[in-house]
Amino acid sequence: MRLAVAAVAALVLPLLLPERHLATFVLLTLAAAVTVGVSLLMGYAGQVSLGQASFSAIGAYTAGLLAVHGVPPVPALLAAPIVAAVAAVLIGFPLLRLRGHHLAFATLAVQLILLSLLAQAEWAGGAIGLQGIPRFSVGDFSLREDIGYAYLALLVLGIALLVSRNVVSSRPGRGLRAAATSEIAAAASGVPVGGYRLVVFALSASFAGLAGGVYAFYLGYLAPGSFPVLLSIEYVVMAVVGGLGTLAGPVVGAVLIVVLVQVLNTLGTMPGMPDYAPSVLSYAVYALLLVGCVLFLPRGVVPALRAVADRGVARRTGAG
Amino acid sequence: MSDLVGYLVTGLGLGAGFALVASGLVAIYRVTRVVNFAQGAFAVLAAMLTSSLLGAGLPHGVAEAGGVLLGAAAGLIVGVVAIGRPGTSPGTSLIVTLGLGVLAYAIEVLIWGDQPRSYPGVPGVAEVAGARLQAHYLLILAVTGPVFAVLAWFFSRTDLGKALSACASNPYAARVVGISVRRMGLHAFVLGGALGGLAGVLTTPVQQVTFDSDVALIVNGFAAAVLGGLTRPVVALAGGLLLGVAQTLVAGYGGGAYQVEVALVLMLTVMIIQSARSGPVPATAS
Repeated sequence: MRLAVAAVAALVLPLLLPERHLATFVLLTLAAAVTVGVSLLMGYAGQVSLGQASFSAIGAYTAGLLAVHGVPPVPALLAAPIVAAVAAVLIGFPLLRLRGHHLAFATLAVQLILLSLLAQAEWAGGAIGLQGIPRFSVGDFSLREDIGYAYLALLVLGIALLVSRNVVSSRPGRGLRAAATSEIAAAASGVPVGGYRLVVFALSASFAGLAGGVYAFYLGYLAPGSFPVLLSIEYVVMAVVGGLGTLAGPVVGAVLIVVLVQVLNTLGTMPGMPDYAPSVLSYAVYALLLVGCVLFLPRGVVPALRAVADRGVARRTGAG
Repeated sequence: MSDLVGYLVTGLGLGAGFALVASGLVAIYRVTRVVNFAQGAFAVLAAMLTSSLLGAGLPHGVAEAGGVLLGAAAGLIVGVVAIGRPGTSPGTSLIVTLGLGVLAYAIEVLIWGDQPRSYPGVPGVAEVAGARLQAHYLLILAVTGPVFAVLAWFFSRTDLGKALSACASNPYAARVVGISVRRMGLHAFVLGGALGGLAGVLTTPVQQVTFDSDVALIVNGFAAAVLGGLTRPVVALAGGLLLGVAQTLVAGYGGGAYQVEVALVLMLTVMIIQSARSGPVPATAS
């Protein structure tokens, strides 16, 4: 019931939003789709990735390069999550032996390597970037307006949520949750921990890759600078603030942070504000939300709200 | 030949900076088991303050000392937030230091803007075995050597150093004999902040610093530290110097573009080999 209400609200919202807010809606929805993957990885597989934006970059460049070279947009977009997942398997095979802070630094290193290679790759536009990506189209129907991309982004988010819900409630999903608590116990009960971790890593990369593909068609332009390390950290912030290991968490986290940063951005660009105000405000928001959340709401906003709501219900039923 | 000597000395100078960042990471990790993501920010904050103090007309030496002090103070603040609350797990502390590193961006851009900064170091050009290089590299080496000697003396000969080492090797036993592990952790953060600050202050004359230079510093520092399993300062020194030399050699002979990859691939290789040797689950200190 709650799910249906949320779905209807998400579908109606783009129609109600004024034109100038649609861009924010598209980027927010894509960020939420990536964050669903991060949350899956951190919440269920117990792994911190500080390089998730690199899979967005891989997906975006895959779709962008294919489209620039004349591949129709639909297969180009479908290739984005596949290539990102394959890259994740290749990278993850050696890296997923690492744990905790080692894995965090390793994923950060992978992203720095990718950014440096992209900036030198002439065939991908180098540091200047890849230009002239056509608009997304299916046959003769071409997606020109922001509203079309809003629904495309919603479709991506819907797929990410649906897939991760099924993974979580599946037998491998339960095995992973066991492995996040005690790897040795899970392995002893016959859970192929390594293999499952690799699958989740690839799955979260494919969400990021698909979102990156839509991003490429939406903007029509890509540069290595579009996928900075800070973007990867933003995804972690969104996942942690929203609440790891819940499905609503990543979406709530993304909405909360993007809207907050947008509001502060508007404030920061008001006349009379210094020109560094928007970036200072957004750094401060990421930092304070992340630190405040892990220290005071370690399970995130969604579980905390749920606990408050449950307590409220219990009190009312108890009194009546 | 003279090219090679030049690359080697420059590489050692660059590597000494990485080694100082790495030793700060090691000092904090040994005592608290927290990998401090804000370690690079200490260097950037210290360098920025030094450039301002020099701009305000303070003499060299005083300005640099001010920078190192700011690094130590920042270390204390990060330590208080990251390990001040009882029951904060090292994993949570890692995320906290990550957040504080981003908060440092806000503070740095607010005070110093987002343009690169630098200031003059030791002026002039030195000649070492026929190679000409900026004299400042020699100062970096001349400071780093004694700093590591003092660190070794501090950890093995002073009461405070011994207490820190005790917390590092066995926190439970340290608590039993009356050492406050949390207070020692804060000491480690102050020490780490000062070492990070020293790295920033020393290397800024030969490498500009921007508010987001900390990512490169922390990754190179971590790469150096990881060689010694994050617990041995001397290995971190060797790792840092090796990394610096490797990077300048690659930049000098192989074209400058790939020097980032060298450090990172080296770090990944070392970590993967270490994890393969020790098995997937790291042995926990009893």
